[in-house]
Amino acid sequence: MAVSYRIDGDIAVIEFNQEDAKVNVLTADVLREFHDLVTKVQNVPGVKILLITSGKKDTFIAGADIKEIEGITVSADGEKKSRAGQDIFNLLEDLPIPTVAVIDGVALGGGCELALACRYRIATFNEKIKIGLPEVNLGVLPGFGGTYRLPRLIGISKALEIILGARALSPEEALKAGLVDHLYPQAGLWDSVLQFVKEIRDVKGRKPGLTRKKKGWPGFLDHNFVGHVFVFDQAGKSVRERTKGFYPAPLKAFELMRETFNAPRAKALAMESKAFGDLVVAETCKNLIKVFYLTERYKKLLPPECAALQPKAIKKCGVIGAGVMGGGIAQILSQNGMDARLKDVSYEAVAKGLQSAAKIFEQAVKRKKLKPHAMTATRLKISGTVDYSGFQNVDCVIEAVVENMAVKKKVFEESARLVPPETLFCTNTSALSVAEMAKSLSDPSRMIGFHFFNPVHRMPLIELITTPATSAQTLCDAFNLVKRLGKTPIIVKDSPGFLVNRILLAYINEAGHLLQEGAGIPLIDKAMTDFGMPMGPFLLCDEVGLDVGLKVLRILEEGLGERFKAAPAFAQILQKGFLGKKSGQGFYKHGKIRGANPAVAPGLPQDKTALPSARECQERMIFTMVNEAARCLEDGVVDDPAAVDVGMLLGAGFPPFRAGLLRYADQCGVESIVETLNLFASRPAGARFEPCAYLNDLKSCGKGFYP
Amino acid sequence: MERIAIIDGLRTPFCKMGTSFNDVSAQELAAIATRELIERRNFDTTIIDEVIFGNVSQPPEAANISRVIALLSGIPKTVPAFSVHRNCASGIEAAVTAAIRIQAGEARSILVGGTESMSNIPFYFSKPLQDVLTQFGRAKSVMEKLKILAQVRPAYFAPRVGLQLGLTDPVCGLNMGQTAEVLAREFGISRRAQDEFSLVSHQRALAGREHLREEMMTVIPPSAYQDVVTHDNGPRENQTLEALAKLKPFFDKYSGTVTAGNSSQITDGAVVLLIMSERRARELNLAPLGYLRAWAFAGVDPHRMGIGPAHAIPRVLKKAGMRLQDIQAVEINEAFAAQVLACLKALESGQFAKEFGYEGFTGPIDRNILNVNGGAVALGHPVGATGGRLILTMLKHINRNNLNAGLVSLCVGGGQGAAVILERG
Repeated sequence: MAVSYRIDGDIAVIEFNQEDAKVNVLTADVLREFHDLVTKVQNVPGVKILLITSGKKDTFIAGADIKEIEGITVSADGEKKSRAGQDIFNLLEDLPIPTVAVIDGVALGGGCELALACRYRIATFNEKIKIGLPEVNLGVLPGFGGTYRLPRLIGISKALEIILGARALSPEEALKAGLVDHLYPQAGLWDSVLQFVKEIRDVKGRKPGLTRKKKGWPGFLDHNFVGHVFVFDQAGKSVRERTKGFYPAPLKAFELMRETFNAPRAKALAMESKAFGDLVVAETCKNLIKVFYLTERYKKLLPPECAALQPKAIKKCGVIGAGVMGGGIAQILSQNGMDARLKDVSYEAVAKGLQSAAKIFEQAVKRKKLKPHAMTATRLKISGTVDYSGFQNVDCVIEAVVENMAVKKKVFEESARLVPPETLFCTNTSALSVAEMAKSLSDPSRMIGFHFFNPVHRMPLIELITTPATSAQTLCDAFNLVKRLGKTPIIVKDSPGFLVNRILLAYINEAGHLLQEGAGIPLIDKAMTDFGMPMGPFLLCDEVGLDVGLKVLRILEEGLGERFKAAPAFAQILQKGFLGKKSGQGFYKHGKIRGANPAVAPGLPQDKTALPSARECQERMIFTMVNEAARCLEDGVVDDPAAVDVGMLLGAGFPPFRAGLLRYADQCGVESIVETLNLFASRPAGARFEPCAYLNDLKSCGKGFYP
Repeated sequence: MERIAIIDGLRTPFCKMGTSFNDVSAQELAAIATRELIERRNFDTTIIDEVIFGNVSQPPEAANISRVIALLSGIPKTVPAFSVHRNCASGIEAAVTAAIRIQAGEARSILVGGTESMSNIPFYFSKPLQDVLTQFGRAKSVMEKLKILAQVRPAYFAPRVGLQLGLTDPVCGLNMGQTAEVLAREFGISRRAQDEFSLVSHQRALAGREHLREEMMTVIPPSAYQDVVTHDNGPRENQTLEALAKLKPFFDKYSGTVTAGNSSQITDGAVVLLIMSERRARELNLAPLGYLRAWAFAGVDPHRMGIGPAHAIPRVLKKAGMRLQDIQAVEINEAFAAQVLACLKALESGQFAKEFGYEGFTGPIDRNILNVNGGAVALGHPVGATGGRLILTMLKHINRNNLNAGLVSLCVGGGQGAAVILERG
């Protein structure tokens, strides 16, 4: 039994409390049970009010069952499932007695839609509460009447914002939006509920005055025809811009809401079901669900050797090196409640780091993600030094100095003399050997690679690089730090370029070869943005900095061989002093005049008819990544194709609708990839395309990366 | 009685109003210094029993500024904090209050300090405009609102400058500079004497730059984080007597002698000190920089507020059972050159001692032991912070030179004098 009911005087209470589960989820069975109870309650004489509550701590109803959504393969089935839910919520909405959803926890997706079908919604001040309709994140749209009821309750502009943006509201935001009618303290909730019930007991229809009339601009937009046209126009533009045609769900939700805006319930719901059915069987939906599972799994990852260990508390970190990375690291530490002591060789250098941190804070304030007073308090948690003062009581040292082994070893030696014995040592190196660096410590077991991605505050991935010496306690402490920073970890073996940079540079280098062969920068970059990458390889290169990229390429070439020999294009443009965005121009011009840099001419092909096509560009770059990822698995850099996919999704911006690099490879078919690679390899100077043993093995067994 | 140990202290550089610290609030400035002291001395913040800061202008957005500073500095939430205000002696007041509380057994270790951002003292609306705006806020209809707005006159928009209000005595009505003029006239302090005194202040501040550096941290001021501030920016290289002589009197345009050049500068800055009972210091194995031996405050005529030190100094000596001869270094805050010189004259005068019953506790003060690293004329006078700065400067000075005792004194707006005696650790 997942749903139960009780009668208390003239109040009926239906409580969701799924057995053997942490949260309530609306499976088909649960919905059926709920339906039966609503019907039953309806027929109990004397019941004047129906309350719907949850027996779970911090959860009302977390949403629909994702497994069920994943399992739908026929559009008509999806439509039917949606109809079934809609019918039950219609029944709830049509009850002649007042209904109240009592929300003291997460109410997302179907849970929110259930609450919307009630006449009233009340919530608590519980910080864990999130109310919203995040369905489009999974490639579908709200299918239980959400697209119909939400705009009618809170106005079209806010409803579009929530549904298209997959936004979840805090209780205060929900109250302000009119999504809930009242907030009560958690303590003594039941008395408050009874008080609320008293107020609405004898009201026919909805109690007047509970729905706030919005004032000002939003109110104006929501309450007249011209406003609606404007709102839809803006929302449509922004959705198209955001999804770039890769994610059909937000666009479909938008079109649906525009069409059903003035439609009667039956018609609107029928259209909603139809749209849901169409989306739920699409590949994008299935892929996004896979990505959801994958990232959830890695977010919660904990290696078995750490399970029994207690991570040490981290209150203060010493950050060495106040460049863009060091500043970004200090920023994210302070934002997550830790003190950061930022060390560099001069105060001028420290100032640079503080500036990059300040920029991030200011952006957050501008976007209203951070209140100005919180910014002051948070930025004060970062302090600068030039002499390691304050390192005597750090819990963790994070190094982010230049990529030079001697310098890195030196700063570890220096800081290790001062810090407490149980300090965690992290290096943010992107390519150097962590094991070698660990030799600078008298106790190398405390060293771990802790590789952030740039920009630190936005990229959700951390590569944790372990060496044979890394202790379980160190790993445990590092995992805990990753979690406190709100990031997702993957464990990577200590090897040149680790995982993400190794694959990414193979890809960028291939772009360089293509340029050499005469394909233009715009063609190559567009090939990849058309594939779904957030930016093309050359723009990415400019962002990272050509000098940095080339340096890592050299390390990779040294450690992994000829195939990483930098395409001549890179050295040539570096010679001209073009470093990328930081110097104003690289492959592109970054200033007032933008666009591909005319000073970087593509190489001259011997045969104009042999110019690589956009399709060939895509294949060469992507299959090179697949090949390199397979080599990483072959070399044991990571032990699971899922780790590659998480790494590329969260660390390199691989498009989620493609489910991940190796999922995508499986969808293309390993066999055809190997054949294509063989074809490329057969051309002159094509040795770098030679498929690796791992790929050939997969092909010969007829298997994919995933079982 | 518990002996009061001052463990260590630190201050920001002092920067003239509207310069490097223009965008930094008093509370943030103090928090920057406090955090740095904690980081450098690497002491556990849980040893702090209370936080007391002195501040004069009391930013409206930081009511009870000490509590704000404590929280911004990462001091545990459980540590209480309160703020003190004795005008220009607020920094001294913080230290003295801490000492009294420690001696009363209320606390063993207190973080004290002083802070002032004279760049950030607000301008206020005029009262008539305030009234109109209040009414406007209460008005219901559009008509009513328009009617109220129609009452506004251009003159209402003249702002009341907070800094000016703060530097004007609300009882006697004189600006601080005008009180200095009163003393200059009464004691016959010439313009030239004032200018010469001021020149020495600049010269000593420049010569003592490396010494002062020992009590100072480097600040990279938010929110731009562009500057690196390593020194006080008040002392002027190449300051000459001629240049000083050219300045017009500021407070009394026609017959005055007090100029911007022989007055203290309007400045931003913060100081922090860690004070504890000697016993607690020993428990924690901390070597004190020095001890706070005695303190005294005196009230004087508000028209002559600058004479305060001449009254506070004999009183504190008497309390400590010491004579001027026992003191090897003196800091008298240079609110105005005229006012310091008037104090020196008064202390030399037998009649003055007799009149107020200070016999035995006054006498001439050797200029060579007075303000040896320059004073507020060169370094600036961030009013709430200066008292703390003088204590810190004195402690570093007597340690550096192996002196036994130093005396610090300030005049206080509103007509008071403050003085403390410090001993080497």
